[in-house]
Amino acid sequence: MTDYIIRRLLLFIPMAIGIVVVTFCLLLLIPGDPASVLLGQEATPEGVASLRRALGLDDPWFIRLGSYFWNLLHGDMGMSIFQNAPVSEIILGRLGATIELAVVALLLAIIIGVTLGVLAANRQGGIIDAIAMLVAQFGISIPVYWLALLLMLGFAVHLGWLPAIGREEPLISAFGMALTGNPAPLLDSLSHIILPALSLALNSAAIISRLVRTSMLEVLREDFVRTAKAKGMRRSKVIWKHALRNALLPVVSVIGLRFGALLGGAILTETIFAWPGLGQLTISAISQRDLPLIQGIVLTFALIYATVTLLVDLLYAAVDPRIRLR
Amino acid sequence: MRHTLMTSVAAIALAAVSVQAASAQESLTIGADVDAGTLDPRLARDTTAYRVANLISAGLVHLTPNLEAVPDLAESWENPDDTTVVFTLREGLTFSDGSALTAEDVVYTFETILDADFNAPQRGLFTPIESIVAVDDRTVQFNLTTPYAPLMSYLDIGIVPSDYEGDMAVEPIGAGPMVLDSWTRGSELVLTASESYWAGAPSVSNLVVTVVGDNSARAQAFEAGDLDVIQSPLSPNDIQRFADDDSVGSEILAGLGVTYLNFNTSDPLLSDPAMRQALAMLVDQDTIVNQIYEGVDQVASSVILPSSWAYDEAIQQPGFDIAAAMAMLDDMGWSDSDGDGFRDRDGETLSIEIATHSEDPNRVQSVEYLQAIFESAGIDATVRITDWPSFSSGYVQQGEHQIALLGWLRITDPDRLLYGQLTTGSGLNWGGYSNPEVDALLEAGRTELDQDARAEAYQAAATIIAEELPYYIISYQGYQMFYDPEVVSDVVATPRGGFRGLIGMAD
Repeated sequence: MTDYIIRRLLLFIPMAIGIVVVTFCLLLLIPGDPASVLLGQEATPEGVASLRRALGLDDPWFIRLGSYFWNLLHGDMGMSIFQNAPVSEIILGRLGATIELAVVALLLAIIIGVTLGVLAANRQGGIIDAIAMLVAQFGISIPVYWLALLLMLGFAVHLGWLPAIGREEPLISAFGMALTGNPAPLLDSLSHIILPALSLALNSAAIISRLVRTSMLEVLREDFVRTAKAKGMRRSKVIWKHALRNALLPVVSVIGLRFGALLGGAILTETIFAWPGLGQLTISAISQRDLPLIQGIVLTFALIYATVTLLVDLLYAAVDPRIRLR
Repeated sequence: MRHTLMTSVAAIALAAVSVQAASAQESLTIGADVDAGTLDPRLARDTTAYRVANLISAGLVHLTPNLEAVPDLAESWENPDDTTVVFTLREGLTFSDGSALTAEDVVYTFETILDADFNAPQRGLFTPIESIVAVDDRTVQFNLTTPYAPLMSYLDIGIVPSDYEGDMAVEPIGAGPMVLDSWTRGSELVLTASESYWAGAPSVSNLVVTVVGDNSARAQAFEAGDLDVIQSPLSPNDIQRFADDDSVGSEILAGLGVTYLNFNTSDPLLSDPAMRQALAMLVDQDTIVNQIYEGVDQVASSVILPSSWAYDEAIQQPGFDIAAAMAMLDDMGWSDSDGDGFRDRDGETLSIEIATHSEDPNRVQSVEYLQAIFESAGIDATVRITDWPSFSSGYVQQGEHQIALLGWLRITDPDRLLYGQLTTGSGLNWGGYSNPEVDALLEAGRTELDQDARAEAYQAAATIIAEELPYYIISYQGYQMFYDPEVVSDVVATPRGGFRGLIGMAD
């Protein structure tokens, strides 16, 4: 097991280097010049040229890539052109909101997905199965930004139950306050996160529900289920206690992949709900051609994704010894 | 058991019962489309930065909704001669940190703006300033290289302290009606009323500017009560809906931008004003403005905006008239002699390229629509759509275009749209237009200090431009603001979208 972990961690290094190089090259291909965006419509060519020099945009690409690498090794992601602040600081300030949103969305996706999947598998071909799979089909097909606006229209505008935009106290500190007898911030934070998390979760919930249904149907045909039934155990107990536990294994493996999809979906969801996370920052950084910031965000997203994948692999290896011997 | 799970999901949804803070009269939340890039008034580039910096800092003058300069930090000014302006500052001015605001700070502010290495986006507007001298603590003298009337409309730029240790971009200190309380980048700016503004405290003690990037989401957040005020850019159907809603306060006026066609007059085909007139008559402004842009803007008639003191509705560019355009093309000898559907002359087909940039779908659609009309009039029209940087700095600014559709914003003075762009050999004159008479009129508009004389000069220039058409103005961009009348009582809207009219300040 230790060998396996070390192997996996070592693989991380070339991958991280690859990520840096690829994003850097992609940014070289982005049309548009941060200097002319900075100076606006009344810019003079001389002004743009002098700003380009000041920003170091005139250096050849290999020098820029080299110095970027060198600085990265010192933990320096460079300065944001537009915010004039260290990229690492800006990203750290945003990371919490995005992780919080993604985690809550993932939990929602698992709860909704597993519930739907089990209900569907319980009576294969029944009316509940049909409805659950129809919902799943919708969840997979609906574009996230449309769903987000729809949810906002329903719950915030027409019903007025939930706030439409923004984020209050972080959930963790709100939980802390609730424990010390002040539940108001927690309710407030929950009411703000519910709509963005729900719109972000639906697509993953749909995918998880299909997966759970399939693996549940397989497990229900296994011998131990028949044995449990024969012993006179209640059907619901068989399903929720014995069968589900075994059916959830494949779900674990998609969680890593889903987490990546959630980060991608967060870009749209955060923009619509004015959720102050990395996704919203991505949009503004791209529109401003803030190259160091875009580079930093892409790198951060990629590293989060790689880390989650690594954790899932290790988890799986711990569960299934065949994997680490390969 | 199954029920338990389902109800737990429902319970989470229900637990989130709205916890809406009752909005107090003294607090106001405004929705913005972008976050401010910086709060240093000298470096402001985006609308949010201008508007917020304009609350934190104050300039020598303030621009009214009619874009006229009225005293702000300066209590008066005089022109000893054409190239000198002497400002007298109010007595006892202080920045929000309590330090005195003196002539030295004014000198420092404009010297940094004029410093090429400082990269102030508006530096070009101040280049006629030769030197700035602090005569005494309350007197500042601007010495100009030439008479320069538009200067007054740019002097609302905020004055910054000369000896401030902090970072003006993120912890600005100013002498305006509000001070920065907190700034969550990309999310919200919180301002509180200042104790030190010369005109007294504003009626709103707490102002929150919330960034909601998506136009539809911003409109919905306004409807849901999360925002008290929203303003352009908004989607046309939201504008329509709020404008018709009696429970919503609305201000709809002409803004400070235009969408226009830039004709390259140095192109052999387009050098003839008659050709430009014929092509202008093929521009169906009404359909572009009211169908493609869904009536958010106004059909334009000349290069002077209706929001300007120089506006004269008598000046009219050619209107949409396909028959007249075809007749003109016939007169110029362009006819379809070989029966291929396109006009030709001396064996040359009449072909024209219309260009715009891909980021604005309405502009792309407008260009495609123009192509269709041009073709119906027998012109072989092609469309060129690229991203903004390649279109702007790599193409139009190089004078490689024939007809380009683009926009120009923040036209607080007619000079800002015309002088740098339509005088012979000017830096922004990408279409190579040259007319000595227009040069003289624009020079007069820039150097005459009397506003009536200026208006006369601009109207004369606009009349010639409406005939010779180096520019064909398609639309005047509209400005819309909607507010909750229960929260904001007296609103003064300004085409610049400033916030001072929302906090009880005379705007």
